[in-house]
Amino acid sequence: MKHGLTRRAALLGGLALPAVAPSLARAAEPIPIGTLLPLTGAGGAYGPSMAKVAKAVTDEINAGGGVLGRPLGLFTEDDETNPDSGVKAAHKLIDINHVVAICGTWASAVTTAVAPVCWQSKTMLFTVSGADSITKLPHHGYIIRTQPNSHLQALRVADFIAARGAKSFFSLSAQTPFAHDVYTQMTAEFAKKGGKALGDIIYDASKTSFRTEVEKAVAAKPDLIFLNAYAPDLGILLRNIYQAGFSGPRFTPGYAATPKVIASLPKPVTDGLLSYAPSPDPGSPGYKRVKEILGVEPDPYSCQVYDHVSLAALAMAQGKAATSQAIHDNVRAVGDEKGVPVTDAVAGLKAIAAGHAINYSGASGPCKFDAIGDILGCKFRFDLVKNGKSTLLSIS
Amino acid sequence: MIALAQAIVNGLLAGATLAVPAIAFTTIFAVLRFANFAVAGFATLGAYGGWVENTALGVPAVPALAGACLAGGVAAVAVDDAALRGLRRRLRPGEAALAPAIASVAATLLLENVARFLFGNDPRGYNLPVYRDWHLGALAVGPQQLADAAIALVAMAALFLFLGFTRAGRTMRAVADNPGLAALKGIDAVRVGRIATFAAGALAGLGGMLIGFDTSLDPLLGFRVMLSVFAAAVVGGLGSIPGAVAGAFIVGVGEEMATLVVDPAYRTAVGFAAILVVLSLRPAGLFGVRGT
Repeated sequence: MKHGLTRRAALLGGLALPAVAPSLARAAEPIPIGTLLPLTGAGGAYGPSMAKVAKAVTDEINAGGGVLGRPLGLFTEDDETNPDSGVKAAHKLIDINHVVAICGTWASAVTTAVAPVCWQSKTMLFTVSGADSITKLPHHGYIIRTQPNSHLQALRVADFIAARGAKSFFSLSAQTPFAHDVYTQMTAEFAKKGGKALGDIIYDASKTSFRTEVEKAVAAKPDLIFLNAYAPDLGILLRNIYQAGFSGPRFTPGYAATPKVIASLPKPVTDGLLSYAPSPDPGSPGYKRVKEILGVEPDPYSCQVYDHVSLAALAMAQGKAATSQAIHDNVRAVGDEKGVPVTDAVAGLKAIAAGHAINYSGASGPCKFDAIGDILGCKFRFDLVKNGKSTLLSIS
Repeated sequence: MIALAQAIVNGLLAGATLAVPAIAFTTIFAVLRFANFAVAGFATLGAYGGWVENTALGVPAVPALAGACLAGGVAAVAVDDAALRGLRRRLRPGEAALAPAIASVAATLLLENVARFLFGNDPRGYNLPVYRDWHLGALAVGPQQLADAAIALVAMAALFLFLGFTRAGRTMRAVADNPGLAALKGIDAVRVGRIATFAAGALAGLGGMLIGFDTSLDPLLGFRVMLSVFAAAVVGGLGSIPGAVAGAFIVGVGEEMATLVVDPAYRTAVGFAAILVVLSLRPAGLFGVRGT
């Protein structure tokens, strides 16, 4: 009997090799995942720490064995807090890097611009932007938002103002997709509590002085001025408000009242400044992990991007496919109330591999989403600047 | 009526500060015949130079303006020596100076990122108290704004004295008026170009710090005012220093007065509409003479 390689077998083997080789190569090939962050521009105070957290959680997942036997390959782009730059960077992530998800878009204007690029290419988009309009876009389930929408924020803000005893407020807002909606929703909620909105000025944030805008606000004699601003313009507004002689409370989103903005201004200018922010869960293991990564108390966005990368990894494992579609189909399944509670991606991946359903609760809190991708329920924290330092008033 | 008077006062004070970088822009145009948009970057680096002197070295804010001038001037000469002069030299006679102008936009981005690399993105403030406004009848005026305007006027006066009464200033004017004749007379165009660039960079740096006094300091400081600076220089007539001053006041007052009739969000657009009107009537700008 003659053994050995026949010419036919060799030929067949040769034909089969190219078919086998790519699948072998793919097994070890990293799963590309993207972050699109405000490393520069008005959101520049948050982008770098978000990038650090995304990198750390990717490394943790890879050290734990990756997703479906493959490591995650992280691609980070800067959106410059600018929609044009955001769209260019999103195209690069999707068309060149072929990412399965884009995580971390921050400014609502950027997210609004980037969203169609994502849903048209069926790429998942995880965002921390608040504008109501974002999840109302026809995104076919390709947007997940870990930040409470601006409607929810406006209600809480109006309730807080009323509880502080203010009977009237005036609003100064940067030009954003949510500025007008927030004012309208606040006005309606505030009216229910017997308060009155005295007016709203939407200003051009690229200016270096807002004296005229502030003079109009102060002339209306409000009990409180609401500053729907970003960090660079907040500093100028607070200065102009002080100069105009207003001594009442000023209230602003926490993302504008960064410690650096407060430190950059004299104490009399910042004292009495109130701020609010959707609060991560400070008691959760995920929050503590983000705190370890950053070495300081984490901001809400760093906590949320920790959850974005974790949710993407878990949903792919749950769907048994390293694709955007698997994330799309399974991102709600990894928050199964009846599942094993997990607080980090590595533990979650192990539980899924062992065949368990999981209930992921991360650094920003429980990650449960409604049908259009909005987070369900969220705590808020309120802070007051005293003697140049921001101090916690309450979390509720 | 009071609102109108207040808008004019606010506009004049804003215009005085805007005039300083606008003069810087137009000076470079007068002597070197190109639009140097890197003035925005010089303003930003100048503002940071003054900030280092003010906060790290403890120099009071007004004397620290010297640091702003030095940082702006050095940055301007460095950018010009490294890139822009070479590009200008390669221009054919009569060719529009497009390449150096575009390169100057790139230089602005570079300088902005140098500031970001050295000082980070976070806003910074000078060690300077903030005062409540003074009320003169129904009008409110900020002491800091008045001081800024006074400093701007002193800087402008110093520039006029330099141009009128020093040898370097006169050679600069000679090159600006007629570069060919100046070369025939043996004036070293490169040297004069450097002096003009340094002077303009120093003024831009000073302007950047003055803007920072009333706002806060971040890497986008210069970029934010660049459009208004360019508008002021164009309205006044590119290359004309009195024109830049007039243009800055027109842009400053125009933008403020616009807020009386339209939403403040549109004030930049209204300012530019005013520019279109001026340029439609006088294409060379108010003080322009060379058909620029």
